[in-house]
Amino acid sequence: MSDKAIVVKDLCIDYRNLSNMSIHQSLQMGKTIKKADVVRAVKGVSFDVQKGEILGIIGRNGSGKSTLLKAIAGIFQPDSGTIDTHGQVSLMSIGVGFKQEITGRENIMISGMLLGFSPEYAKEKMDEIIEFSELGDFIDRPVRTYSSGMYSKLTFAITAVLETDILLVDEVLSVGDERFQKKSFSKMQEMILDANRTVVIVSHALNTLRELCDRVLWLHDGEIRKIGPTNEILDEYVDFMGS
Amino acid sequence: MKRFYNDIKKYWYFCRYSAKSDLKAEVANSYLNWIWWILEPLCNMLVYYFIFSNILKSSKEYYIIFIYSALLMWTFFNKNVIYSIKSIRMNKGIVTKVYVPKFILLLSNMILNGIKLGISLLILQVFMIFMHVPVNGNILYFFVSYIVMFLFTFGCGTIFMHFGVFIDDLGYAIAILLNMMFYLSGIFYDIETTMAAPLGSIIARANPMAFLINSMRNALLYETAPDLTLMGIWFLVSVILCAIGVRIIYKYENSYVKVV
Repeated sequence: MSDKAIVVKDLCIDYRNLSNMSIHQSLQMGKTIKKADVVRAVKGVSFDVQKGEILGIIGRNGSGKSTLLKAIAGIFQPDSGTIDTHGQVSLMSIGVGFKQEITGRENIMISGMLLGFSPEYAKEKMDEIIEFSELGDFIDRPVRTYSSGMYSKLTFAITAVLETDILLVDEVLSVGDERFQKKSFSKMQEMILDANRTVVIVSHALNTLRELCDRVLWLHDGEIRKIGPTNEILDEYVDFMGS
Repeated sequence: MKRFYNDIKKYWYFCRYSAKSDLKAEVANSYLNWIWWILEPLCNMLVYYFIFSNILKSSKEYYIIFIYSALLMWTFFNKNVIYSIKSIRMNKGIVTKVYVPKFILLLSNMILNGIKLGISLLILQVFMIFMHVPVNGNILYFFVSYIVMFLFTFGCGTIFMHFGVFIDDLGYAIAILLNMMFYLSGIFYDIETTMAAPLGSIIARANPMAFLINSMRNALLYETAPDLTLMGIWFLVSVILCAIGVRIIYKYENSYVKVV
């Protein structure tokens, strides 16, 4: 068992239409909205990821990819089924929420602590993160002054440098300018060489997936359509999307 | 319970750091800012002092500290409760990206307001020394009152936090309630002696903030001990509120993401 990093079993996640409402509505809720329409985003998905493996996830928009990642990251409770993760998990996705008013440097500390690292460790890695993010002087300015590119760069740097055991990447490889993309790509490759690091990537960039992934999972309408060797699945997916 | 303890331990540094950096951010935005933490209650105190020493002709001893000390406690409670209602929404960035026990956000805000409170309490101390307020062993109940107040705030906060996620206009309703509570908490008058006979003493006991403020103030200024049975009851109520709040949050926190 110890060589499996993620085990997902019969996972189902619903989006009940839990919209927020007014007091008036919530008082009436008992009578009216009991049978709220349920959207099942992930339907009975089971798979597991070996330690050190790189798994790609593809699928159309709305097929449940990001939901699946969020569930693995522990942000969503599964409605049924189980997810076992062995090790620290971090989710890297576009526009990770930083606190707007505080500086980049402080946000690094906060993110580090939220991921479960000690303040000492975060401090130790600080310089490396700042260097990788290429933010220069901006690191000591409030995050609200950042451009969207800087935002994503900082996100990438934090999650890439802080070494969590399991890394979940949501469409984040295409951030920054050309140069930063190359840099982040090679950083990804480097991480992949690390046999202890498990990575799950959600992406539409097929070429990236081809180069990085060991296996690919094809999600279609919340169900696994196929899972297998990268090239095989990707070819089929391309055919499917083309038709 | 054990989970709660572990989570507090695990996220304690985050709480502290987040509170500190938020404070720093507030300061960074303007020159006067940290002075505002003192100025705000201080100015409010002057307003109430001016109005009520003229209208009510209060003959209370140390009337100015009488108002100020109560105002500090009230401000802390008020700010945290209001914050708790919109806290999940305000921290959307964090909540949607990483798992964090949601009451930690409230705790962090309480630390932030606690630091401000601490500064104001130092000012209060200066006032007291300046006005030669005598102090005896009953001052201990000042701290007891504050501890119960912290618990009560946390309990209310966690419960409001949960409902605040789902109910959009809860903020308005609570604001009105808080406003009423403010006037019924005897910040600038003594409830028991000012209000008509049965009502005054009922409110002074049944309104937790009125009771806590009064106990705190009596210990601080008039060397008297509070009603210990009542203090015990409110302590218990607060603990129960905390337990309910934390339990609700643990149960539902993962559905918050789907709403905000």
